[in-house]
Amino acid sequence: MSRPVLQYRISARYGATEVLHEVAAALAPAQIVSLVGLSGSGKSTLALALLRLLRYRGGQVTGSIRLEGRELTTLAESEMRAIRGHRIGYVPQSPGLSLNPRLRVQTLLHETWRAHAAGPANHQALLESVQLPADAVFLRKRADELSTGQGQRLLIALALMHSPALLIADEPTSALDAITQASILDLFAKINRERGTAILFISHDLLSVAGISHRVDILHEGHLVESGPPVAVFRTPQHPFTRRLVAAMPRLVLPD
Amino acid sequence: MAGGPRPMTRLAVTLLCLVVVLGLAAPWLAPHPYAQQIREFTTTAPQPGFPMGLDDLGRDRLSRLLYATRVSVLLAPAAATISILVALLLSALAATPSRTLRWSLSLGNSIFLSLPWIFLFIILRAKLPLNTDPVVSVTLTFALMGVAGWAVPSRAFTASILGMKDAGWLLQARAAGLKPWRIATSHAWPHLWALALAQFRILIPAYVLSEASLGLLGLGVADPMPSWGNLLQDLQHPDVVQANPWTLAPLGLLVFVMICLEVLAPSRKVAL
Repeated sequence: MSRPVLQYRISARYGATEVLHEVAAALAPAQIVSLVGLSGSGKSTLALALLRLLRYRGGQVTGSIRLEGRELTTLAESEMRAIRGHRIGYVPQSPGLSLNPRLRVQTLLHETWRAHAAGPANHQALLESVQLPADAVFLRKRADELSTGQGQRLLIALALMHSPALLIADEPTSALDAITQASILDLFAKINRERGTAILFISHDLLSVAGISHRVDILHEGHLVESGPPVAVFRTPQHPFTRRLVAAMPRLVLPD
Repeated sequence: MAGGPRPMTRLAVTLLCLVVVLGLAAPWLAPHPYAQQIREFTTTAPQPGFPMGLDDLGRDRLSRLLYATRVSVLLAPAAATISILVALLLSALAATPSRTLRWSLSLGNSIFLSLPWIFLFIILRAKLPLNTDPVVSVTLTFALMGVAGWAVPSRAFTASILGMKDAGWLLQARAAGLKPWRIATSHAWPHLWALALAQFRILIPAYVLSEASLGLLGLGVADPMPSWGNLLQDLQHPDVVQANPWTLAPLGLLVFVMICLEVLAPSRKVAL
């Protein structure tokens, strides 16, 4: 097996409350891993911890995070800035909250570009790859004028701009209607196929992510309780929590 | 706003522009210098060449009203600008990680909001020699008003900056690897700028009214330079008002301008 893109073993706490207990996993290149858990299980904490952004939410992280063989926990903040958005892309949950409402699409693209590159940039191909228009009218729109689906696509485009090795997506579909959700999931699968980007997909919804994942990790109360290919997790769940999660999945029952 | 500005807004803007032009053009429009005393008349009533009559020192009321308008329309926005700039500079402390600095900002803010400013103006007036140049006194009055007024907009700026710390877009910008300086200038500044414009529009009428109140008490712009405030002093003498109703003109103009400014004031929602 080739060198993992990401390998981590971390604990995280807010003050005296430990919310992640020695959670350890790895992502191979071009692998999609879904991290599934209930709200409060520590999923978003894990995403921020891996980006080393948890301190801005008042948390502390201990342990080890290796990205492409490089230990991140010992890096200075300025070195981390060079990695965020460049080697790790982050797709946050809600476009309504995560896109600065006062900025235009072109400003968001420009600022994200300038963070890791100099000179002029053409974002047409990038926008097309996430199925967004690249015309002047769209580029001049303010973030708060976009639909939720467009906003989520823009967040994905911003995260992909510098072709990161790893994409961390924190509930990127939970604010979307069923049809938009399906098309965004397809988009992640396409990105993974065409660019070979490894994706850590964080979700509360086991059913929706199972289809695109190579592996599913189940997080329960800060512990990683189960990990395996989606089929195995569905067919033979081992941990009691996973069994409950699988049993609670909606089933389509049609009347005769 | 859909469908362009409302008719009331358009009317208020037009009328205010007219007042501003009248004020700015005072040196060319005014028939007499504002301090010139004309002693050849036995009456202060309106008469040819003096459509609003004369004041008790024999100065042309119309000319003085035009010059007073000039003082207010120039200096109220200037004082508001000073307040906004001071408030923006000091409120930036709210973004620092230092707890001591943030605490100092909050304390300074509370102190400035609770000081009885009227006494400061009384002290200022007492300290200035009686023969102080009117331009100096008018500048000092408005500069002091501007500096003293930083606390009100600063509270709005501070609340906005503190609110940004938890904003999702801040996290997104950090996760994209933006440097703190770029985040401040490209992401945070547009929010503060919109807020600053709203606060600016709130402060202008407040300062127009403050100057009028100070002037009425004799603490504002000093004679012979006219201001809406010191022209209102004549209203303390009912016999003067009775003899020449034009004495009420500064009050009428003040109320008129205040109504226009209130029509244009941002709604509470935008302001905070």
